[in-house]
Amino acid sequence: MPEPNGAVPTVTLTIDGHQVTVPRGTLIVEAAKRVRIEIPVFCYHHKMDPVGACRMCLVEISPGPPRPQTACTTPVAEGMVVRTNSPMAVSARADILEYELANHPLDCPVCDKGGECPLQDYTFRHGYPTSRINAPRRHFLKPIPLSERIALDRERCVLCYRCTRYYDEITWDQELTADHRGADSYITSQFGQPLRSIFSGNIIDLCPVGALTSRVWRFEARPWDMAYTGSVCSRCAVGCNVTLWERRNQLVRVTSRQNDEIDEGWICDRGRFEYTEVNRPDRIRVPQVEGREATWDEAMEALLDGIQGAGHRLGISIRRDVTNEELFCLWRLLQGPCRGARVALEGRTSLPAPGEDTLLIRDLDCARAIVVVASDTADDVPIVNLRIKKAVSKLGARLLIVHPDRLDLDRWPEAEHIRNRPGEAAAAVRELAGHPLLQEGPVAILWGDGRGSEDTRELAAAVAELATRVGGRSMPLYRATNERGALAAGLISGVPDDLEGCEAVICYGPPAPGRIPASARFVAVWDLLLRPEHGSPDVVLPALGFAETQGSYTNLEGRVQFLHPVLHPEPPLREGWEVLCELGQRLKVREMDFVGIFQLQRAAARAIPQFAALASPPEPEPQPTPVLYGPARP
Amino acid sequence: MTDETERPARRNPLQDVAALAQGLRTTLAEVMRPVVTTQYPEEKSPRAERYRGRHYLRRYDNGLERCIGCELCAAACPVGCILVIAAENTEDHRVSPGERYAKVYEINMLRCIFCGYCEEACPVQAIVLGPEYELSDVSRERFIYTKDMLLEPNPAQQEPIVVR
Repeated sequence: MPEPNGAVPTVTLTIDGHQVTVPRGTLIVEAAKRVRIEIPVFCYHHKMDPVGACRMCLVEISPGPPRPQTACTTPVAEGMVVRTNSPMAVSARADILEYELANHPLDCPVCDKGGECPLQDYTFRHGYPTSRINAPRRHFLKPIPLSERIALDRERCVLCYRCTRYYDEITWDQELTADHRGADSYITSQFGQPLRSIFSGNIIDLCPVGALTSRVWRFEARPWDMAYTGSVCSRCAVGCNVTLWERRNQLVRVTSRQNDEIDEGWICDRGRFEYTEVNRPDRIRVPQVEGREATWDEAMEALLDGIQGAGHRLGISIRRDVTNEELFCLWRLLQGPCRGARVALEGRTSLPAPGEDTLLIRDLDCARAIVVVASDTADDVPIVNLRIKKAVSKLGARLLIVHPDRLDLDRWPEAEHIRNRPGEAAAAVRELAGHPLLQEGPVAILWGDGRGSEDTRELAAAVAELATRVGGRSMPLYRATNERGALAAGLISGVPDDLEGCEAVICYGPPAPGRIPASARFVAVWDLLLRPEHGSPDVVLPALGFAETQGSYTNLEGRVQFLHPVLHPEPPLREGWEVLCELGQRLKVREMDFVGIFQLQRAAARAIPQFAALASPPEPEPQPTPVLYGPARP
Repeated sequence: MTDETERPARRNPLQDVAALAQGLRTTLAEVMRPVVTTQYPEEKSPRAERYRGRHYLRRYDNGLERCIGCELCAAACPVGCILVIAAENTEDHRVSPGERYAKVYEINMLRCIFCGYCEEACPVQAIVLGPEYELSDVSRERFIYTKDMLLEPNPAQQEPIVVR
């Protein structure tokens, strides 16, 4: 792997007549991608170590032995000549494909992978046009549920070991393994236990055939039925990039979208599978006043009557995936007519606003030592947890944990775990300054709130002190999706939220913290669903889910990322910022009559410095050029 | 404007008789030739063996539906008139052999151009174009043929459809 500092010697080689210069140590498959030559692979994945298990990537290399060699395990060398379309290489790949298909059931019509399946594509591009195999095929019971969300079809498996290697290398969970040997081997879960890892869903994306498929969207759609957009996950503050897939105005599936700054192409199961709320038939679609359906006009009037004169006895509970734009509208309302109202953000930590120079997620790759304080990263910020694991196991960073309980990261044998008593993390952090593991920098300090058990103000001071003494940078691990945006807008601060005592409550999303306060005499709920914890509200407004709303989130490192809705909400559903702007106009707030979200974003960028990035939404991404080259059939 | 004073020259009456005879000869000759008119709708003309008319969804002999809901017919359809929504078979609710069946199968007959590509794409020979062509109806909605309308009767219960 090339060093991150860039000073890497390069190597020039020839692939199918194209000269290509790449850093030393690059594998031939990666070098071929630079000149847009496809070398088919099943077992190779660019985020995992090569194994050369499937033999699909055979090419002819000279100088070298007179037989095909695997492009996925061979690093480049100066003057190397690689031929992917020589008769030897072409027939070698076709023969391998014939073997891969020897036991494949060819049930592509009923397979959820059909249409986006590398095995299908490679068979068309690199395989023999007809099959010579007439022997009986291997049969298994199918589908086998590996967990509530993943099904395994062993007949389709080509034994590339991507899934088992992912579990070993990337997540360290080791829940999948190959049982038996040679032609008899098959994939199974360890001891037949169901998968419990929060990262299990990635094996669906990784599987190059239809062996591992999702049970959540099983048979919902074929790939060519679906439209998709690249958006951002709404489940936690990491802000992983996702692709949203739509069919018939229903959100059908969520898959990962690689962004090396944040997620490296992995997403957790929360982001992947917990999207079904937006499709629910019992969703609120029409405003209600006292249990009866009403127009938006009537509902707004009722809402205004309810919060009239509440002053500081008005409580506003906001959902965790509130957008920056909605936060800006709320900020305007709280500057004006709703001044003094109390605000709570659902599912957030009580961490204070970050300091000036915080760590970025990608900086974990360069860290020599990583300190995790008062946070179970696997639960709080799952994908950051994977970045820590990568830095520790592949890039040689040392790991120091300060937490009362045993954690997921303790699977690293060399991890040093300092068990503080709950609530005393700050004291433990103050003692770390001379620790032998922190002698060499840069040091990355990730700290959470211990799920409410720590005094975050004291911990913040201790972490800042440690950072200056060991020459490191720190990153507070927020939990709520747009917690950092809410802190930037000044709606919340480093003290826990409390709406107790409020007489009028506007509840956007599930109530925070936990329930509607008993003192509330007027409750307006603005959500996708009426939940049990909402009680019996006076006014109900329909809200939009993250797959259908416009806007942006600020992730835990302060990066503003824009949502690209894939669903098209039908009236009377309305955008959140539109509703808040109408509320503002009815409350006679000036400058809340925006004609579109772009005008609002520009206004927000002027008003709040941390939202400056809102003024320049990214250009739509160009369609990727397909990686497809010439006929390679024998 | 024609001049009324100008009259055509009087012709030989034998010429009129000859013309009449010629006409009658054509008529009488046609009487002798075989009749090509079919008395539609009382009488129907025969259709070719591979005539492409109204679609049917076939079943296996044991009554299970052939369709596996793979949507290849919808993918092959050049006008996009087929909608398939698939679902999973369970032990309690088995509709077709295998894992998958079509929960919804609809054809918009107003759009269909009867090209037969769906029939060709089907991996299990579930959808076939039958001989029936009398598909007129009185409202647009009734041209959306649902799965109930398309499925052939269960052979366990009724006589199968015979293609003439």
